Amino acid sequence: MTHPNQSILALYAGRDLGWFTRRRTERHLSHCGECRDEVQAFASARDNLAALNELPAISWNRLAAEMKANIRLGLEAGECVRGERTAAPFAPFGILSGVRTVAACASVMALVATGLLLQRPTPETPPTVAGESAVLRATANGIELNQGGQTLSLRHVRTGDVTYSAGAEGSMRAGYVDSDTGNVTINNLYVQ
Amino acid sequence: MSSKFAILLLAGIAALYAQETTLDHSVKINLPPDSPLTLISENLGESHVTQRGSAVVLDLDVTLTLHNSSPNRVRGVTLLVAAQEVTPGGKASVSVPSLDVPPTQNFPVRINLRLLRPAQIAGGPLVQVNLDGVLFQDYSFYGPNRLDSRRTMTAWEMQAQRDRKYFKSILALHGMEGLRQAMLESLNRQAERPRLDVQVSRGRAVASAALGEHNARFAFLRFPDEPVEPVEGWAEVAGNEARNPRIDVRNLSSRQVRSVEIDWIVTDRQGKQYMAGSVPASGPEFNLKAGSTSRVLQDTALRFSRLSNDGGAPVSIAGMTGFVGQVEFADGKVWIPNRASLASAQLLGILEPSPEEQRLTDLYRKKGPKALADELNKF
Repeated sequence: MTHPNQSILALYAGRDLGWFTRRRTERHLSHCGECRDEVQAFASARDNLAALNELPAISWNRLAAEMKANIRLGLEAGECVRGERTAAPFAPFGILSGVRTVAACASVMALVATGLLLQRPTPETPPTVAGESAVLRATANGIELNQGGQTLSLRHVRTGDVTYSAGAEGSMRAGYVDSDTGNVTINNLYVQ
Repeated sequence: MSSKFAILLLAGIAALYAQETTLDHSVKINLPPDSPLTLISENLGESHVTQRGSAVVLDLDVTLTLHNSSPNRVRGVTLLVAAQEVTPGGKASVSVPSLDVPPTQNFPVRINLRLLRPAQIAGGPLVQVNLDGVLFQDYSFYGPNRLDSRRTMTAWEMQAQRDRKYFKSILALHGMEGLRQAMLESLNRQAERPRLDVQVSRGRAVASAALGEHNARFAFLRFPDEPVEPVEGWAEVAGNEARNPRIDVRNLSSRQVRSVEIDWIVTDRQGKQYMAGSVPASGPEFNLKAGSTSRVLQDTALRFSRLSNDGGAPVSIAGMTGFVGQVEFADGKVWIPNRASLASAQLLGILEPSPEEQRLTDLYRKKGPKALADELNKF
């Protein structure tokens, strides 16, 4: 007699088996006491785990009240400290007061402005193009026009080298020698 | 066990949901009754339409067999591919330049396309293919020319004549060994040409001074025989994006100019140069009389990044260079820079090869110098 493996029995105990496997396992269990014991053991272990997950009773209301009181205490302490500092904002940092502070800020700003002027950033990424109505591109086996989720592509088959060229009036061209006919074929796609 | 059953059930539902439907009436090929080309057959190969939820995906791999019913040799064809209701204003075309199709001969044109659109849009074929233009050996043209195919195909044909002449002269002067050497140089240039991933978009940008946006000025390369000279130009540059290029050009010739195309090179912070694209100007508003000045202006944004196999990082633009790549006169004739000018300006290593040079090097690589010499001696 072939017994189901441990994982099948564990899944059966947890009622996690599919319909067909469950029926087959039930048939086996009806005449196999050994496997029934295994299933019983898995079911007991499962019940014990569920019991372990339960938390002891906590008085949530009491806990919330304590947390609120602690936060309020912290806020009041902060107010006391702020009151002292606002009286003399730069008192601990006297070196940054008056003309010196203004001069330092102006110097930093001038330095940043000069840096930006000398080295304007030129990002590699293409600019976003809004409202593009049509895009032409070369693909692995042809040229393709995409517009509004619709695609039209002209493909080249049975060929070696392909030359591509773009037209700024909105065209893309692929030229190749057809291996079967020996003729040059030039595919063009246009947008208007 | 039950999870496997659920996956199988989901896969079944997904398979039922993404049903492939028939291609009947999904593609329509329209050739005008007086067209110099007639449609012999259309082979839809493995094309199919798939319904995916609320979207339709059309995978079209069609080979058209066209017949030259005109008395002239066909040098190029452009087909306009219109996807119904998709990407309003968006359209596609497939061109086959560098052809040499004599009268009464058939030739193939392949269109390989994928279309993703909402399923709710009803009625009519998903894709319509129309003839936009046919260019003949004598530079005569047939077609509605909605995509400015006449100018484009004429320029390609002039480049083809220029490059064939160059390789033929090498063959005549230096024989097969010289031709082999020239082919190897061209293949090396093509392999080593610096490339960027360029993305083109339309729309209102909100880039600002905070992102480092500034007006960057074009430097210009000049050719001794150019009929139009660039005077000055700018573009708004922010990081790896350049927007709204505008270039003032002056007509140095005595003829009226209908359109001008300025080729655009960008330089990265390491000083490496890349072909960014072109800035064309044409249409009724662009009218450049002899001696006059006009402005080439486009309202587009180009974003540059390294190729995905090179990390795909954005490439900051440190400089921009422009030169006149094409001029079309009012009579339909086209000027392009000659090969010596491109070589002396060291542009051959930056520009993409002409379609004809691409075809000739491919022929050399696959069939060897003898087949290439035979091809050059054809015309």
